[in-house]
Amino acid sequence: MRLFWSFTRQAFHNTAVYRFEFWLQLFSVFFMMYSVFWVWKILYKQSPGAFGVTLEQMVTYGILGMALETIFHPGRGPQTYITEQIRSGSIDTDLTKPLDFHVHMFARNFGETIFRFGTLAMPSLAIGYLFLDFRLPASFTNGVVFTISLFLGFMVLFSLNFLLGMLSVVTLDIRSISWAYNALVRFFAGQMVPLWLFPGFVGTLAAVLPFKSIYFIPLSIYIGKMNGIEAWQGIGFQLIWIAVLLLFGRLAWSKVHTRLVIQGG
Amino acid sequence: MADWPGAKSIRGSSYKEGKVIETVSIYLKLIKISMKSRMQYRADFFTGIISVIILNAVNLTLIGILVNRFAHLNTWNLWEMVFLYSLWVMGHSIYSLLFWHFNTLEDYLVRGTFDQFLIRPIGVLVQFLGREIQYMGIGDVIVGATGLVLSYSKLGLNWGMFEFSWLIAAILSGAIIELALAWLIACLSFWTGRSVTAYFVMMRLNLMVQQYPVDIFGTWFRVLVTGLIPVAFINYYPTLLLLGKTEQAGGWGWLGMMSPVVALLLLALAMLVWRIGIKRYSSTGS
Repeated sequence: MRLFWSFTRQAFHNTAVYRFEFWLQLFSVFFMMYSVFWVWKILYKQSPGAFGVTLEQMVTYGILGMALETIFHPGRGPQTYITEQIRSGSIDTDLTKPLDFHVHMFARNFGETIFRFGTLAMPSLAIGYLFLDFRLPASFTNGVVFTISLFLGFMVLFSLNFLLGMLSVVTLDIRSISWAYNALVRFFAGQMVPLWLFPGFVGTLAAVLPFKSIYFIPLSIYIGKMNGIEAWQGIGFQLIWIAVLLLFGRLAWSKVHTRLVIQGG
Repeated sequence: MADWPGAKSIRGSSYKEGKVIETVSIYLKLIKISMKSRMQYRADFFTGIISVIILNAVNLTLIGILVNRFAHLNTWNLWEMVFLYSLWVMGHSIYSLLFWHFNTLEDYLVRGTFDQFLIRPIGVLVQFLGREIQYMGIGDVIVGATGLVLSYSKLGLNWGMFEFSWLIAAILSGAIIELALAWLIACLSFWTGRSVTAYFVMMRLNLMVQQYPVDIFGTWFRVLVTGLIPVAFINYYPTLLLLGKTEQAGGWGWLGMMSPVVALLLLALAMLVWRIGIKRYSSTGS
């Protein structure tokens, strides 16, 4: 646990230097929340109670999705760190650390995420609650299960980003790929538009891909669209994907590790 | 010194004209060099373009799903929304191809590499803009053109010369507005040292207005994007005119005609602030 806090403290020191940027970021999240608020408000005025969800639930889903983007933004994962280290050649310092690289990446990313959750996501949600009809979890149980599911969502995103980072070791640059990657993750994760609106083939695809673990499952649990057995099924889905992706991550890292050692020696 | 391009024409009688031709030829030369270095990484070139196309396709698909499921968004049907978005992407492509690296200005200022532009006998702006061409903008051109053509035929439009000239004017105005706003924000870093976060906030606000018609938002927001940060002039007001939806904006539908005016005013303001910023930089730089 000490490990995570050290990275959280680090993130705090890095960010505290630019206080003005903090306010700008909060401002930009507000704009995003404001836009989903109006989109759903207008759409529900046209057809109230569409797809078995109330306007209040839908607005809460949308605002939560935008606020959580401050911690789940795929542009700020381990892949950014790995790419920088590879480019500057200082990845060797990571290899000499008395800490498993995979664990190191997780600790770093989790520490920063906790920090961003406290300083950006929470204030955004408070603003959403005060000004934009953001509501508390559907029930106490939903709140607890949501918290678990949110952590698992983070794990899925971390594992995917780690794999992308491994790719950057091979291709040396992932900047151009990450534009598409970020957009596709947000789309299939249901960050803005929930998966129950997806038609036909796209819907089936989104239902089996791991991305929905990041936003769709936790958010649906929060607003009470997924309850009881269905919520636990969602958690099971997340766990299976975490196991698969972490395994792939380990395999990729052991491949990359040998490659790095050979190049370095 | 004597043999840099256009040196002769400056000494000649038509000073002004020579200066313009010289500047353009230097710019083209610089761009050619940067294109050559870009094409060294051909794989990156194509993945970049495809990436941008995917990004736009995702945005459009999200809009498509929403409008499809709910029939329309505040009377805007699917193809009207596609038109709105594509009109922006078209202007945006010009901006992103040629001027995107305005937001890297702060790096030059922080690292002190901006000084190299000040000591050469050519305009600072030409050197800075000639540094790079953002090839990813080609993806935007493809998306924008496809979107405009598709929505034109799906909406059954039948335009004459006048409307087509207006379309081109709207695209150019959109490009200039976006360029001027990005330029103004970049100039901030002459004073604050950093401006890239402000740039991303502006881009988000921009994207939000370009994806959804402004008339779905509340009053203060409409005032904000019309009067204060005039991103609604990029595509929203021109689209109202071109698609004959002016009643959407109440009595304000005529504002679409003002897009070129807004664009030129903003550009003039940006040029002025740039000049002041450089003066400030030169005097405090050393």
